[in-house]
Amino acid sequence: MRLMGKRQIGEMQPFELVITLLIAELACIPMADTSIPLLYGIVSILTIFLLHQLMLMLDLLWKPFRTIVGGKPSIVINKNGIDITQLKKNHLDLTDLIESMRTAGYFSLDEVSYALYEANGKFTAMAREDVPQEKKESLPLLIIDDGKYQTQNLKLSGTNEDFFNEILRGEKIKNVKKVFILTLDGTGKIYFQAKGEKYRILRIKLPEGCSW
Amino acid sequence: MVKTILSFLLTAALILCAGIFETIFVNSQFASFNRALETLEEKVRTFTASRDDADAVTALWEKEKKQLHVVIPHNDISYIDYWLGEAVSYIETKNYDDALSKIEVLLTICEQIPQTYSVTFENIF
Repeated sequence: MRLMGKRQIGEMQPFELVITLLIAELACIPMADTSIPLLYGIVSILTIFLLHQLMLMLDLLWKPFRTIVGGKPSIVINKNGIDITQLKKNHLDLTDLIESMRTAGYFSLDEVSYALYEANGKFTAMAREDVPQEKKESLPLLIIDDGKYQTQNLKLSGTNEDFFNEILRGEKIKNVKKVFILTLDGTGKIYFQAKGEKYRILRIKLPEGCSW
Repeated sequence: MVKTILSFLLTAALILCAGIFETIFVNSQFASFNRALETLEEKVRTFTASRDDADAVTALWEKEKKQLHVVIPHNDISYIDYWLGEAVSYIETKNYDDALSKIEVLLTICEQIPQTYSVTFENIF
């Protein structure tokens, strides 16, 4: 593992993860099965190490190889909002994205101008410089997730579907199924993105007693 | 990059040397055991084999298997132990027909094992 370099331990590429698991397995077999000489485990590990070094050399000498074997970063948030195609291509949903945003320290989707998943699965976000300093009263709630109302969050925010249907009609959206995401925070800020469109920020007056 | 190339070449050389060494070592170990078995087979065919002859072959095998344990699976060694044990007991009871069949099996195993561990195209792929 040490010979494979620091990259192996810190930031694994998909093939490096497979190699790590293989080494663990190969080291175990001769120890668990007394009929197999220990030399077999050592030779197998050396062979895996040899293949790793070969992959590493190809990776450094021929860049497209890196993309084929290790994948490439996926930009899931750009200046137009969430890139639904990229999100689905990586088998991710909105909950995963929002969770990654929170882990990175961003609680609202409009706080970043770019966000991407690196080839090793790590989440990286570039903060928006022109983001207005706002009072953070409460956690933004996901009200519409891929065309579906989140009943529990509607209840928590003290609103209902009619309330948001009215807002959507104002934005010329007739069917909730066309909305990819809609979040609401405690100040009445709505982050909203219809499928195939740029995101919009709306400001509404929250109904009386609506707080969470 | 230099470190990567060096480690690659070193590992490749190490694996290649280990492969060649294994082939030569296993072949030489089994060649001497094979010769001893062939001598015993001749004696069995002429009904002159005795317990002492069988014990001499067993002693040679016992000496060689200690080193072979490092490179070949212990199950293969156990098969030889089993067939040799039977051959020895048949020789002691002068049951030469059965002893001969056991020695034939041992000779076949001794031919096959080195082939299994040699660096050949069919063994690699």
